[in-house]
This record gives sequence, structure tokens and C-alpha cells, in this order.
Amino acid sequence: MTTWSSEGQPAPRLGTGQIALLPAESIEEASDQVRSSYRFSDPALSELPLEQLLDELLNRVQEALEVDTVAILLYDEEANQLVARAAKGIEEEVERGVRLPLGQGFAGRIAGERVAIFIADVDHADILNPILREKGIRSLLGIPLIVEGSLIGVLHVGSLTPRTFGQADLSVLQMAAARAGPAIERASLFAALEHEHRVSAALQRSLLPKRLVEVVGVEVAARYLPAREEVGGDWYDVMELPRGQVGVVIGDVVGHGIAAAALMGRLRTALHAYAIEGHGPGRTLELVDRFVQSISEPAMATAAYAVFDTYSSKVCYATAGHLPPIVISATGATALDITPAPPLGAFPYGRCPEHELTLGTDEMLFLYTDGLVERRGIPLNQGIDALTDALTGSPSPEAACVRAMAELVPDEGLQDDAAIVALQNSPVPAELHLRLPAQPKTLAHVRRVLRRWLAHHGADESDVAEVTIAVSEACANAIEHAYSPAPASFELDASCRNREITVAIRDEGRWRPPRGSNRGRGLSIMVAAMDDVQIDRTDTGTQVVMRRHLKPQ
Amino acid sequence: MSLGDVEITLASHALIARLTGEIDMSNAEEIGATVIGATPNEASGVVLDLSGVDYLDSAGIYVVYGIRASLQARGQNLILVIPPESPVHDTLRLSGTGRPGETTETVDEALRAIDGPSPAHG
Repeated sequence: MTTWSSEGQPAPRLGTGQIALLPAESIEEASDQVRSSYRFSDPALSELPLEQLLDELLNRVQEALEVDTVAILLYDEEANQLVARAAKGIEEEVERGVRLPLGQGFAGRIAGERVAIFIADVDHADILNPILREKGIRSLLGIPLIVEGSLIGVLHVGSLTPRTFGQADLSVLQMAAARAGPAIERASLFAALEHEHRVSAALQRSLLPKRLVEVVGVEVAARYLPAREEVGGDWYDVMELPRGQVGVVIGDVVGHGIAAAALMGRLRTALHAYAIEGHGPGRTLELVDRFVQSISEPAMATAAYAVFDTYSSKVCYATAGHLPPIVISATGATALDITPAPPLGAFPYGRCPEHELTLGTDEMLFLYTDGLVERRGIPLNQGIDALTDALTGSPSPEAACVRAMAELVPDEGLQDDAAIVALQNSPVPAELHLRLPAQPKTLAHVRRVLRRWLAHHGADESDVAEVTIAVSEACANAIEHAYSPAPASFELDASCRNREITVAIRDEGRWRPPRGSNRGRGLSIMVAAMDDVQIDRTDTGTQVVMRRHLKPQ
Repeated sequence: MSLGDVEITLASHALIARLTGEIDMSNAEEIGATVIGATPNEASGVVLDLSGVDYLDSAGIYVVYGIRASLQARGQNLILVIPPESPVHDTLRLSGTGRPGETTETVDEALRAIDGPSPAHG
């Protein structure tokens, strides 16, 4: 893989009558560039609306570089992802709403590192986008789209036969980018609210969570896919609950358009509020059902709510009129055989029973709405079977979402909107090596990580409680030592040998002797909770090493 | 998700402060200040209900002592509610400082203790 830094090689910016030439290019290539510059500075382009401008630019790039594929992905700042916006040769990319994480894979690295990347011979391990793999693309060249210092997306071209892209090709791409970037930026300021579809799509987006939770030992990914014509009332939600639990929700309001999207927002909020109050899945859905009953307009919805306990690896879940959740394990993907409770709003005082299952390490729970599996004239079971087939072997929630979209979303787009959310019981590392910000709110995070790590090493409840408080106290000291105004951090390492755990906490601050009769308690707690506590203070920092034997299992 | 929370209720002669979730150096002082700030002068005392607390560290204990000292200065009592199975006992035991105030297992007991054990009162 070759990368060009955007600083090292300034993009040729074409002013009136100017043609930027890069050094060490042959005359032939330079004259090619002259032709390209006309292609992209053509004043006729300015009159085109964004859709047609992008279409025309992609055509001209394809023609100029004689490539098989061209694609523009835009940067979605809130989700920190790239979203396919326009494509030639790989139109499916846009239809399927491909989303790629920043920082990984071909396009993700271009955006994340803001560099041009050329891959002469594509190793498919480097490519996250399933569509590029399906097409069998051999060589790729891509550049970041940057307007006034801000990343707005990625432009890339691909060839189905191995090919070397050179400086001249790069320059052509940069000219197209210089043209497309500001146009996209301008258009996105106006484009938002043109007709109902756009209004409700915007509403829908604003009602869905912006960021998923980050909890150690849990991986989560989710997608919302609007229908081709109209938005609907599908939603997903992910929430961090007390005591190391994570809740995932999927729901579907009956109906379409703004009304359905608005009701979806109310139901998502209601469910979220009941859930963080600590109600279990069954009770939470019952309370949302009462809420739906209380709404004056007739309303109905289906939903599933599952709570994953990171300490026990158990999932408690309940469904109201919703399609069965799918469990993805190493041996395959299976739809759970349960009878759902009635839909929300269907019958007064409906009861919603809870079910339980255990997720093994790496196993996933996959929730989805019917928009993903329902096809006119095809039995629903066949749709669910196609989904379980697609999900089999998915290594991660992100991969499960990508596969579900690749296999289930037809090229022409979905008839009905769809939402999916996948949660994985991800493995606990054998040892912890954490570098943490020296801020009080870090402590809660440390405790969550440590509790799960200790439980994984067979610590019982009192071992977990006592070690957690000792470590949290030591971390609190490290945070107190970091009294410089600059952002500071500290390190935590933990290991376990023969049921003896060792935790080391290192900071770069000066040890402060306890002040007052109460301030010494943190140290007393550490000494009382652990078998051995060593404190090593030097001019450069303080290291606390604590050991404790866990009780026999 | 907020880490810890405090819910204030006024009973006839006392303020009941119910702490929930995890109390550590990130929120202990704020919770302590909330309790003191909410306590009316005419209350006989404060019931600090720790039955909903999942985690309490030395910063939490420090703040409980601080609440007690502030109340004492105003001639008010502090009663703690700590049920037998509460993780707060772990912290108190490990810190080796005993109980930072009179302790009961339920809020009702605590309210009776604040309203005064003497029947001459009523």
C-alpha cells in the first residue's frame, strides 16, 4: 500500500488560466492533465444540481482515468463513519447505504489519516466494504475530500485488472475532488428539507442514538435503513445500565411517514426512560404498552428489548409482537423459538413474559425489524432463513450488520424501512494494560472493566467487591496526584497467575501524604482489602502494586 | 447513565436523602453539598438512606463525615440507613473506622430515631 500525505503533495488548485503541473511528469501526461483540467473546470458543471453534478463528475473521472469503478463517500461526523453517496460501476454501494468506520480499511484510512492511498494488488483483508470484494476489484486509488481544512469525504477509483496508478492519475483525482468538495459542502447546507421524505428522514435520524455505548466486553453495532420511497417508524436503541448491564432495543411503529417517525421518537424515549429506571425487559415493554394505550390517536408497535449482563453473560429479553431475535454462534445463526407477547397497544393490560439465555464468548444477539426480511410473495420464514444464512460466521456485530445488508437489501433498495442492532459478548483479555485519563469519572470505567475481568478469572462476589474498591482507591490517589493543569494520565496493569491477581497502578505525579483524619482511609482500604500492597514513590511518579489470592473455586 | 444520584424527600421533622448507584470521588462532594443545601433549619435531622447504593468509596465516607459535621454545627442529627446486605458495609469494614453515625436498617426506624425516642415528645 502506498500513501501520499496531503501535506507533502499539495493538491493542484486551479485558478483562472492556471494549470498546476507536478514535477517529474512527462509531456504526454501533462497534456493529459490539461485535458482533465478542462473536464473538471467546465463552467457548465456549475449549473447542475448536486445529484447531477456528482453524476457528471464521476462520469468524467471514469472517462479520464479509464477505471471500472468510481465512488464518493461522505463523512457523517456524528456517527464518525463514511456513507456511500454516489458511485459508478458499484451503484449497489449507494443503494445498500454502505457505512464504513473511520480509521480502518481502505476508505476508512484515507479519511482517518487524510492521505491518498494506492493499493496495487488488493489484499481483501484490507477491504471492509463487501461490495468492493464482491466485484473483485484488483487496484484502488483514493483521496480524501477536504474543504477548508475539514474532512467531508473520500473519492476513490478502482480497476478490475491490476494496474499502477501514478502521480498523473492522482492529480486528475485531486482536480475532481477540488471541484466536487465545495459543491457537496454548499449543497448539503440547502439540501436538508426539500420534501416530506427528507423531513422525515432527518427527523428519523435525529431520533436515533448518535453514538453507541462503549462497555468493555461488549461490542455493539446498529443500522437504520430508510425505505426507497418513504421513512417509517423503525428504531433501535442501545443503553448502558447500572451494574455492568447493557440494554438493546429494536422497535417498529405500524405506519409510514412523519407521523410514524414522530411516534417512534416518543416510544423510543418512553422505553429508554422505563429501562434506565431499572425495570426488566418484560415490565419495560408492559409499561410502554400502557403508554401506547394512553395515546389518543390509534397506535400500534412491535418491539424487542434485551438486557445483557456483562458479569454473568446472561441475556434477559422480552418481545411484544416482534420477530424472534437471532443468536449467532460459532456453529451458525438461529432464530429463537419463542412466542411473542401481543404488540404494544394491541390489547389492554397485555402481559409480557421474559426469557433468558446465555451468550458464550464471541456469541451475538441480533435484533432486526421485518423490513429487512419481508418480501412481497415470499413467506416470512424464508426471509428469516435467508437472514440466518447471511449471518452465519459473522465474526463481529459490525460484520453481521454489513452481511445482513449485503445479502438482504435488494439492489433497488428496501420497500419498507429496517433497523438492526447486534450485540456481542466479546472476549475478556487475559491481562489488562490500560492507559487512562487522570479524571474522577475514569474511576467508574475502571471498576466496570475490573469487575468483568475479575469475574472472568473466577473471582467470587466478595473478591470482586474488595479488589474493586482497593483498585478504585489506588486509582483515585493516582488521579489526585495528577494536579498539574495539563491533561494527565495513569496506567493500570492487571494479571492473574495461579489464582493470585496482581494489579499495578502507575502515575507520573508526586505521592501526597494523606491529609486529615479521613483522607488516609483510601490507603487503609487498600491494605485491608489486599494481601500485599507495595507503594514505590520516586521523583518521576508513584507505583502501587497490590496482590491478592482469590478464594478457591 | 448517571453514576450516582440523590433523591430528596421531606418528612414531617426530617429530610430523607436517598442515595443510589455508585458514589466515588467524581460525585461524592456534590451529593454531600446537595444534601446539606436541601436541609431546612427547622428539620430535626437527616436520614441518609444508603440502601440503594451499589458502591461507596473513601471519598463517600469522607462526605458522610462532612454531612455529619455540618449538621452537628446546626444542632441536627444524622441517621444512616444501611441494610445488612449493603456493599456499604464492605467499605466501612475495610476502612476500619466504624460507622460514621447512628445506623438503622430501614427508613422507618431512622425516622422514629430522629423524631426522638422519648414518648414525652408526643
